[in-house]
Amino acid sequence: MRTQENIERFGYRQELRRGVGLTDLVFYGLVFMVPIAPFAIFGLVYSRSGGMPVMAYLVGMIALLFTAASYAQMVKAFPLSGSVYNYAGRGIAPPVGFLTGWMILLDYILVPCLLYLVAAIAMNASVPQVPVWAWLIVFVGVNTVINLRGIRMTVKLTRVMIAFEVIVLALFLAVGLWALLQGKGHGFSLSPLFNPETFSWPVVFSAVSVAVLSFLGFDGISMLVEESTGGSEQVGRAMRLALVLAGVLFVTQVWVAALLVPDPGGLLVKDTGTAFYDAAAVAGGDWLRHLTTTATALSWGIANTLVAQVAVSRLLYAMARDRQLPSLLAKVSVRHSVPANAIMLISLLSVGVGIWMSTRADGVDLLTSLINMGAMVAFVVLHVSVIVHYSLRHDSDRWWSHLIAPLIGMGILVFVVINANILAQVVGLVWLGVGVVVLIVLYALGRRPTVQATSGNITT
Amino acid sequence: MNRLPIHQDLYLIAHGQSGKPLVHPSSLALGLAGATLLELALGGLVTVSRGLAATSRGPSTGDAVCDDFVSLLARGRADVRSLIKKGSDGICERTRESLVGAGVLVRVSGRRMGMLPYTRYEPADISSIVRASSGARSAVEGWKQPDARCAALCGLVAVLRLEAELYLDQPAGRLVGRLREIAAAGSPPVGDLVAVVDALVGEAAVAVYR
Repeated sequence: MRTQENIERFGYRQELRRGVGLTDLVFYGLVFMVPIAPFAIFGLVYSRSGGMPVMAYLVGMIALLFTAASYAQMVKAFPLSGSVYNYAGRGIAPPVGFLTGWMILLDYILVPCLLYLVAAIAMNASVPQVPVWAWLIVFVGVNTVINLRGIRMTVKLTRVMIAFEVIVLALFLAVGLWALLQGKGHGFSLSPLFNPETFSWPVVFSAVSVAVLSFLGFDGISMLVEESTGGSEQVGRAMRLALVLAGVLFVTQVWVAALLVPDPGGLLVKDTGTAFYDAAAVAGGDWLRHLTTTATALSWGIANTLVAQVAVSRLLYAMARDRQLPSLLAKVSVRHSVPANAIMLISLLSVGVGIWMSTRADGVDLLTSLINMGAMVAFVVLHVSVIVHYSLRHDSDRWWSHLIAPLIGMGILVFVVINANILAQVVGLVWLGVGVVVLIVLYALGRRPTVQATSGNITT
Repeated sequence: MNRLPIHQDLYLIAHGQSGKPLVHPSSLALGLAGATLLELALGGLVTVSRGLAATSRGPSTGDAVCDDFVSLLARGRADVRSLIKKGSDGICERTRESLVGAGVLVRVSGRRMGMLPYTRYEPADISSIVRASSGARSAVEGWKQPDARCAALCGLVAVLRLEAELYLDQPAGRLVGRLREIAAAGSPPVGDLVAVVDALVGEAAVAVYR
């Protein structure tokens, strides 16, 4: 079997039980992405894109399809449960792998904060008597207990969550379309896709820098390469399929919502944080508002945090075990079989940063931009890894897959980074600078990053 | 009385007097699989070298769990990591059955609050738990020079963080350190296999799906 041979090339034997098929790989990617993700950030994308959220999601999907193609190439080259940290380390050089891991760490450690904050805002929209910070503490508390008890998403639970989210989405679409047919909202229009009055590429890319958040998580599928029944080929296919499926769902829901926005002019000026729920209320009344807020809270605050927690724990564990982060983070609780220290660190960070961000008017925007900044920079390095590994080292003559496609993907992402939130750019640069300092310290301590055999089996 | 195999000793240490496991089932299964491989390696039935295990014997060791392991090696050499992972499937139940068969554990059935049925496997005699951990206790306290088998058990007790079950009046950190030292000082396969189990327990804790 080809994948088995490939794994053995790196000195490993197949270990994980191969039992996850294409459908479950796609479902895993979808539960990570959340099929109803735009519910939470719709207003932000709408206002940033000049009322063209459909365009923002389409461009985001295209950009990340190129990223998925590069992932597929690297998974093929290194068919190990790994992430961009692993691929950059092996594809380019270990220090680059470290810095890439460091950048994606910005994404991974802040994702739970954002998930809790969004879930808290959604619940606050339903039950305003309880403040956002209190909801946030409740979500962090519940999830910390669940995680510390060692309760995980299962293949079956993943399917149930996807079914639940898709049912809610179908309800929203059905009620929304019916409302539009009844003359509610602004009637059918192409303006959410293209509005010549507000269109400019910087505006679109600025919105894409927020919208891509909804797609983040497709890369989590690569964690399951060793369990995939079809090996690395199937993982690549699953990533593309999950992205396209999510893209179709995102485009459809934001198109309908954009046509139902109660005050388009006001939303263009300032995001209220509840724009999608307001649009749902226009379509179906308060019951649909409550349904969409509750679905957002459950899918972001419980389902997505469960998978995000595993992803961040894996990255912290892998980097700590490779002696690139404090060894404290590589310790696990054997009693519950969980990375207890990493869970506690993320929980404390989520409470601190989450409460702080809940006091800022641009809290969700800033967190989203920071997360996307970390991910986008890491994805740019992923494209570089493909070019270095295939075109430069192995002199590949597959120009499209190994040179042109990564270059196009990289180009789009660079534009997205350039047009992102300025504060996020500054924080991203500072974070990168800190990473460089840490790398120098590691070299000074004689703990230079290396590609270790065991890391390939575990990193996210 | 004959000594029990390492995996049976570890099973007894890893369960309370009421039969309740003290560590997560996935961690325990990996520990028991490592213990079985160590039992076979130290008994000369399996050779372990450079991360690979091999055997020239047929599956007739006298212990059902060990036999299952040997049969996994029937097709030639196997990677130790994958062997331990494969061997960990259902090993808790099989070890428990062996202990029940040997009369060390007894099946106890009842109803909680007179309604909810339960089945527990309790030690027939509390002294079996004491005996299981006595070697490790003696080694830590320096009363007795540990043999390879005892060193293996010490290492696995440290990996599974069962040091409290030794009932020694020492801080947990220091005790775990001492147990690891004893394992590292054991014969070559002991340190290597304990390290593999340690890594696998860590990886199981961050697995996407269990």
